[in-house]
Amino acid sequence: MSSTNEAPQSFFSCRELNAFYGESYVVQGVSFDILEGEIVALLGRNGAGKTSTLRTIARANEPALTSGEIWLNGQALHKMKPFEAARSGIQLVCEDRRVIPGVTVEENLILAQIAQPLGWSLEKIYSHFPKLEERRKQEASSLSGGEQQMLALARALARDVKLLLLDEPYEGLAPVIVQEIERMLQEVKSMGITTIIVEQNAVAALKLADHAIIIDSGEIVFTGTAQEVLDNKKLREEYLAV
Amino acid sequence: MDMTLNAFTLYILTGLQLGSIFVLIALGLTLIFGTLGVVNFAHGALYLIAIYLAVSINNALGFGLALILVPPILFVFGVLMERGLIQRFYDRPHTDQILVTFGLAIVIQELLKWVFGANNIPFAIPSWGNGILMLHDYLPFLDGFVVYPKWRLILVVVSIVTVTAVFALLHLTRFGLVIRAGMRDAEMMQFLGVNINRRFMIVFGLGSMIAGIAGVFGGPVTQVSPEVGMHLLVPSFLVVVIGGMGSLGGAVIAGILIGMAQSFTAPYINLNTVIIYLITVVILLVRPRGLLGAKGVFE
Repeated sequence: MSSTNEAPQSFFSCRELNAFYGESYVVQGVSFDILEGEIVALLGRNGAGKTSTLRTIARANEPALTSGEIWLNGQALHKMKPFEAARSGIQLVCEDRRVIPGVTVEENLILAQIAQPLGWSLEKIYSHFPKLEERRKQEASSLSGGEQQMLALARALARDVKLLLLDEPYEGLAPVIVQEIERMLQEVKSMGITTIIVEQNAVAALKLADHAIIIDSGEIVFTGTAQEVLDNKKLREEYLAV
Repeated sequence: MDMTLNAFTLYILTGLQLGSIFVLIALGLTLIFGTLGVVNFAHGALYLIAIYLAVSINNALGFGLALILVPPILFVFGVLMERGLIQRFYDRPHTDQILVTFGLAIVIQELLKWVFGANNIPFAIPSWGNGILMLHDYLPFLDGFVVYPKWRLILVVVSIVTVTAVFALLHLTRFGLVIRAGMRDAEMMQFLGVNINRRFMIVFGLGSMIAGIAGVFGGPVTQVSPEVGMHLLVPSFLVVVIGGMGSLGGAVIAGILIGMAQSFTAPYINLNTVIIYLITVVILLVRPRGLLGAKGVFE
């Protein structure tokens, strides 16, 4: 796809993304499009560049985007700083949850509502996540892994999220907690929030996703429907080891 | 040590007064370190600018104007320094930050020496703060006639008020919540849409403003000469290290501790020169991160 500097037709589009961690070339010419309301599973082995791709889209300082374009709803994210991308509707739920330690659960949610535009109110969050209301005065890092994941997701919904980036939402969680988070993500899906999900547990991610993208060594090696990946054993063995 | 209750009280007050200056300077240092991760060796020079500004305005226009003007001027100066120089060193190693801020400190010191000369400039204390306080009138356990300079007690009060204000700002306001969160995870704050660098710039200004307040009230006590900045920087930096890099509570405790140690060893000149280093060594041996230092800071 050529660089046109013009907003594309699709809701979200990245074109020829190249990003580096220092000298390491971690995202190599990645291009894809997402329709509004679609859920895309971004799959690949450990170190394939999945997290790097999400962080590049969220406009994190690292990896550094050296060339390429990122468009969300007609806005040029590639020209933005991380906080500007967040204000434009990007929400990254990081793989290690990144709840802010030293402040309470409720303060974590308040921190998501400092900058406009806002998403869900605290009341709405608490009605969907009653456990967080129970623990609202508790120090955030004292929550269990599953609860921290809930808080990280709720914090993203507290903002006016247009593209949700979920990095390993099931990582390190007990199977019963995974089911609970899966149920929540189904709810997010039913709300029609456009989402990219990165997950080691490819089957779990594909259950949720409409489309799948497989990357290997920073490059896209497959794009298709989630069902195609589930049906293609060879592809899964080669790139996902499942 | 044979010490009367009278002498003990005076040592305590002197310890508090010395500690007050250390706390005010260390507070700004640790605030800047905790938020921006920058070791600002030019912080002593900010104090230096403050005392020269304060003495000039005080001697020409009166103390009231010095008090009104110096802290905001220092705030602006701090912001300009952060934007113009410091921000370019955020991603550089601490050694680079120390070198550049230390260099800046020397430039500021020499510029002030060039403009004002190397000699001490007398700082006239305003009439309401001049004179001595009859301590025995207020503290019935004291025996006989015990007095203390009023201005030094005012300095202690100013320090307490400033520390309280900073803690209130950080713990009772939304701005403070953002800053505390940013100290823990600045990147996440950006992912939540907060322009955290702008808030940190304001914090740099605030740290500088506290040096301004310290200069207005501390100038008459520490004297106004070009070497004062460097003389205060070393103990203040040790206060930050002993307290734990980036810990405000630690800076307050360590500042008072160092002030007390200096005060109580004053009669023993040799011990007095080394006591703060001795305390630093002992505390760092027992608690390598300082009194209230958090894991992962400066590591």
